[in-house]
Amino acid sequence: MDFLQRSLDGLLEAGPYALVGLGLTLGFGMLRRVNLAYGAGAMLGAYLGSWLHVRLGWPALVVLPSVAVATALAGLYVQWLCFHDADRSIGKPQRASMTVSGADAREVVALASSFAVWMQLEQLSVNLLPRHLNPFPDFASTQEWTLGALGLRPDRLLMCLLAVALVLGMTRWMQTSRTGLALRATADHPLAAHLSGLHVPALQRLGFVIACGLSGVAACAVLALEGQVTPMFGMWMLMKGLAAAVIGGLGHLRGVLLGAALLAVVEAHAQALLGPLGRDAATWGLLLLALLWRARVSRISATGGLHA
Amino acid sequence: MRDALCASEPGVGLVIQVVVLCLVALSAWLLLRVGRISLGQQAYFGIGAYVAALLTTVGQWPLLAALLAATLAAVACALLISWPLLRLPGLQYAVATLSVAELVRLGLSGWRHQVPQAGGQMAGPDGVHGFRDIRWLFEHQVGQTEYMLWALLALGLTVVTLLLLARTRLGLAMQAVGQDELLADSQGLPVQRIRLLASALAAAVAALAGGLYAHQLTYIEPAIFDPMLGIHAVGYSMLGGLATPLGPLLGAAFDLGLLEATRLFEGWRMVLFGTLVAAFLRWRPRGVLDEALLQRLSDRWRALGLRRSPVSAVPGPSRDSTLTS
Repeated sequence: MDFLQRSLDGLLEAGPYALVGLGLTLGFGMLRRVNLAYGAGAMLGAYLGSWLHVRLGWPALVVLPSVAVATALAGLYVQWLCFHDADRSIGKPQRASMTVSGADAREVVALASSFAVWMQLEQLSVNLLPRHLNPFPDFASTQEWTLGALGLRPDRLLMCLLAVALVLGMTRWMQTSRTGLALRATADHPLAAHLSGLHVPALQRLGFVIACGLSGVAACAVLALEGQVTPMFGMWMLMKGLAAAVIGGLGHLRGVLLGAALLAVVEAHAQALLGPLGRDAATWGLLLLALLWRARVSRISATGGLHA
Repeated sequence: MRDALCASEPGVGLVIQVVVLCLVALSAWLLLRVGRISLGQQAYFGIGAYVAALLTTVGQWPLLAALLAATLAAVACALLISWPLLRLPGLQYAVATLSVAELVRLGLSGWRHQVPQAGGQMAGPDGVHGFRDIRWLFEHQVGQTEYMLWALLALGLTVVTLLLLARTRLGLAMQAVGQDELLADSQGLPVQRIRLLASALAAAVAALAGGLYAHQLTYIEPAIFDPMLGIHAVGYSMLGGLATPLGPLLGAAFDLGLLEATRLFEGWRMVLFGTLVAAFLRWRPRGVLDEALLQRLSDRWRALGLRRSPVSAVPGPSRDSTLTS
């Protein structure tokens, strides 16, 4: 019973992970670059939200959308500074080895510069609100439903449902809308998309900003249950999002749900067995295993592309 | 959190810290050289620090032997860890090194090994509380200035070794692998083995830095080896330049020496550093000292030498012929 309860608790934790991983996997699918400033951008948005909430006393219903908008704007900045070079590949003869081997220098450069921007945004947020704990609009309820001998937090359940709805909604949008089609074409083969008359840089920017906006939504959802935001939030978001996205297969939207569920359940059990250190170790260990396993399954996973 | 990256002491202590960070940056540079970005060099830094500290406190070894043993231990770990990671493509490799480094850090956080010492005190790592009383320098009456000279000597030796390495066939092979893996492979270079060698070398350099750092501060804790250290190491190399081992030194000296030590930008250091690195990477992706600048400098140097002594100006095989991609 204990085991079941723990698994259930873990499964409910999957909601935040899936939300956080969704934006990361979408961003990767669009540009084939991991955006390390992902968590930091959402953190800047959240800090701004906290600032609006505390200093200006704005109501929660205004604060939450502004967090998402601020995060999307931060994403635009990150894209301009770090991932701008992705569109240079259009029309330029590119050897297959450059994308397959991963030795592509620009990939390394983009990774490193998004790192730099990560630190920059994090420091900016801390300069905005220097305290360690900053209040955020709180929607958590302490209510608990019981299912036989199992306890269930309705607010967590709501979050899980939100995550599933968002992931499935994004998938559907990607598959059926014309914009989604254009985005997928751009992700799969920028040159071919360019030749069929799509404006590739704008689409890449759009996809990236949507991904960052989603991370803002994720940040809102997570923080509304926490009721506060700390400087560790950026790192937390990147770590969990990366783990969920990689386990689910980077660039694979629905895979995020699976990855998040697996991650959350394993973490819950690791925490019970080994304490908080074990929880973190489980995250990283699972991430490492997923990377190694994926590399074994498909050698060309680096080519990415966006899969709905 | 960013203990290793802050200038906690002025003067001599600062110099030692700059030296240590230069070594970590060189370690990241070695891997960038073979076309891999590693965000996990802090793992070897930590392993080196713990092994060296254990040997001098519990084992009562002399410092030099302990540093050597720490370096070898890190090389062994690197060979073991890098082997499965080698086949990962660049991006996945970066994330994988980060996760390995975090696993190492968590492992060290959970490690308690207390041994009673002569004075009734306990020595050895104590979980998250870290490793206290690494007092070899104190016990053997080595002053900070003397230690600084040792550290500078270690850095100098490393840089000279790397500079000499760049001139050998192995160094050229490393560069070729970094520039274009497929081309290097088709020329018959053992790409994976060269990468493995580079990561072992990089681990050795990072472990040396860790050992030096542990003995200077007399206290280390796993929180020091957090990802920020590895990130900065990569940032220094990227900022300073990838063409020569002097690049990372330039980057580290710039960040630590100018931005941190002068305290001009209190609180805004990270903002400025981040902006600089990102701007550099966007408009000058191989850092200040990139191959083109290096070539121009060496041409000018050669022209000077030509004027002085025409005999020595026999053009050798050009080092940079592999650069034009």
